[in-house]
Amino acid sequence: MLEAYAQALLNGLVLGLTYVAIAIGLTIVFGTLRLVNFAHGAFYAIGAYVGLVVAQQAGIVAGFVAAPIAVAIFAVLLDRVVLRYFYQRDATSQILLTFGIALVVQETLRVIFGGTAQRYPVPAELATAVVLGSFAYPAYRLVFAFGVIVLIIAVWLFLERTNYGLIVRAGIRDRVMVQLLGGNIRAASTVVFAFGAAIAGLVGAAASPIYSVEPTTGFDFLVPSFVVVVVGGLGSFWGAVLGGILIGELQSLTTVVFAPAANVVIYLCMALVLIFRPQGLLGESEVIKQ
Amino acid sequence: MRGTFRFLLLTALGLIVFPFIIHPIGGYAGLATQVVIVSIASVGFNLLLGEAGMLSYGQAMFYGGGGYVTAILLLRAMPEHPNLWLAVLGGTVATAFIAGVIGTLVVRVYGIYFALLTLAFAQMIFFIVEQAKQWTNGDDGLQSIPDAPLWFGPQSVDLQATLPPFDLGPFGNLSEIHLWYPFAAVVLLLVLWFVRTLNASQFGEVLAAIRENEERSAFVGFIPARYRFAAFVVAGALTGLAGSLRAIYDGVVAVEGLGIDRSGSFVIYTVVGGVQTLLGPVVGTAVIMYLENVLSAHTGSWRLIEGVIFVLAIVFMPGGIVGTLRSAGARKGRATLRKSLDPRPGAP
Repeated sequence: MLEAYAQALLNGLVLGLTYVAIAIGLTIVFGTLRLVNFAHGAFYAIGAYVGLVVAQQAGIVAGFVAAPIAVAIFAVLLDRVVLRYFYQRDATSQILLTFGIALVVQETLRVIFGGTAQRYPVPAELATAVVLGSFAYPAYRLVFAFGVIVLIIAVWLFLERTNYGLIVRAGIRDRVMVQLLGGNIRAASTVVFAFGAAIAGLVGAAASPIYSVEPTTGFDFLVPSFVVVVVGGLGSFWGAVLGGILIGELQSLTTVVFAPAANVVIYLCMALVLIFRPQGLLGESEVIKQ
Repeated sequence: MRGTFRFLLLTALGLIVFPFIIHPIGGYAGLATQVVIVSIASVGFNLLLGEAGMLSYGQAMFYGGGGYVTAILLLRAMPEHPNLWLAVLGGTVATAFIAGVIGTLVVRVYGIYFALLTLAFAQMIFFIVEQAKQWTNGDDGLQSIPDAPLWFGPQSVDLQATLPPFDLGPFGNLSEIHLWYPFAAVVLLLVLWFVRTLNASQFGEVLAAIRENEERSAFVGFIPARYRFAAFVVAGALTGLAGSLRAIYDGVVAVEGLGIDRSGSFVIYTVVGGVQTLLGPVVGTAVIMYLENVLSAHTGSWRLIEGVIFVLAIVFMPGGIVGTLRSAGARKGRATLRKSLDPRPGAP
């Protein structure tokens, strides 16, 4: 019984870190561009399928390289062709547009790859289990979790230590002031948008050996990731990290206790947060008014 | 008053010819009935999105909820003497009550938070219905809901009965129309009349003012939360009404009626037809459901086409079909068309 919980804790961490990686992109894009992006889950799904196709042809490492690049290119095109005309529009229009784009991507994937779930194999070297105390845990999941943690630290360093990061962070606090001071928030925005999308794409490819891929995968991960962002605080980096792990663990542990409730407990959690602490756990109350 | 009368007359004419004009282009009378019933939910949704500016991604909880309450009432409370009025009234009142409870919690948040919170409650209701197997039969849904007749005093009318045969050439035959269609059309007409009156009333004006600038409306002395709450409850009740009617019409209810795709469909219908127009949601529902019916027979990628239509509508036709027609009419100085499509009676 104890093993079941320990295993659930690890599964929750892996799931939570996946949410974190998606949520970071969501939250930064909202913070800088004030764009509510329902199409962010589509980046994850595209990354997963690109990774799948490339991995079948050229090996799994090539898949991990191709996925973020392809998704970043797609994101920049999307941004330049339609999204940028909606930066100044209200949240409702943005949600409608990006919801529509997400639908189009999902259905395009369905037309190309069919509706059935696919899963690509774990790399041979990692297709083993690591013995942790009294139970064995798949090695790939541990490596994945470690990789996502490294990724999160890298993103944090990017935001803290580079000029782009400075503009992004300042932009989250006061967009107009950054522009008044001569910060090129447009250029930084495009970089940030592509960057957030690339992270989602990379994680999409990397997580596919764990969670199978199907056309609806984008929405399946998008909705919990939005829950993560709201619970953590829209626009907050560490909020997304905290929220992601919290939601992942909650979902995973509920699976052990009462499996049917696993998909609903996260919504309950979000409803409680929104009612009692609308700015999110680590959110600044200024951001929510936007 | 003259404007109202003309609006109702023109809409009624449209509803009368609707099942016949879709006949030669691949539609059928049953589809017309489904469109008319679902339109009621879309009209309710547009009261939220168009008038109050509240984008709900959880309307399916009221649509499916109304359906389940009606089905359970018919199966459990009145299996011997099914009564359509009571079953539909029960479903509608129950959804209004659910909307009242959830409304107190959701009207305080806006934009993305409102969309996600309504989605969250819809998912919770989906889960509860799926788990309450004794009442709802879980994933299998409820079947063989009794065919409830319509009682007028001691007289009962069977809505499955058809009109007398009369050949209309390419437009089919009058006998293809079940009494369900005129009944549902009358309900839709009443709903449109109600929402039109509501929009033109002080309530509708304040709601629009809150949508445009909530802070200013509050300064003037209105309490925005109360108006948003009222809009949420009315929209919930109308959506529940549609779900109740559909449950009896179909004879079955399924959990899919409570799902995210169902909630999204009201968004798509309304945006394609025209947000902030009274007839837009009806037109959008008709166009999308008709295209779905015709195209999904020929192609497996209907939903891709639907998504593309939706995105194109948002980018190039923010007013939807009706809004675009109306502004085109205005440009050409065709005041007649504009006036007949305008949601507000007496508007210039």
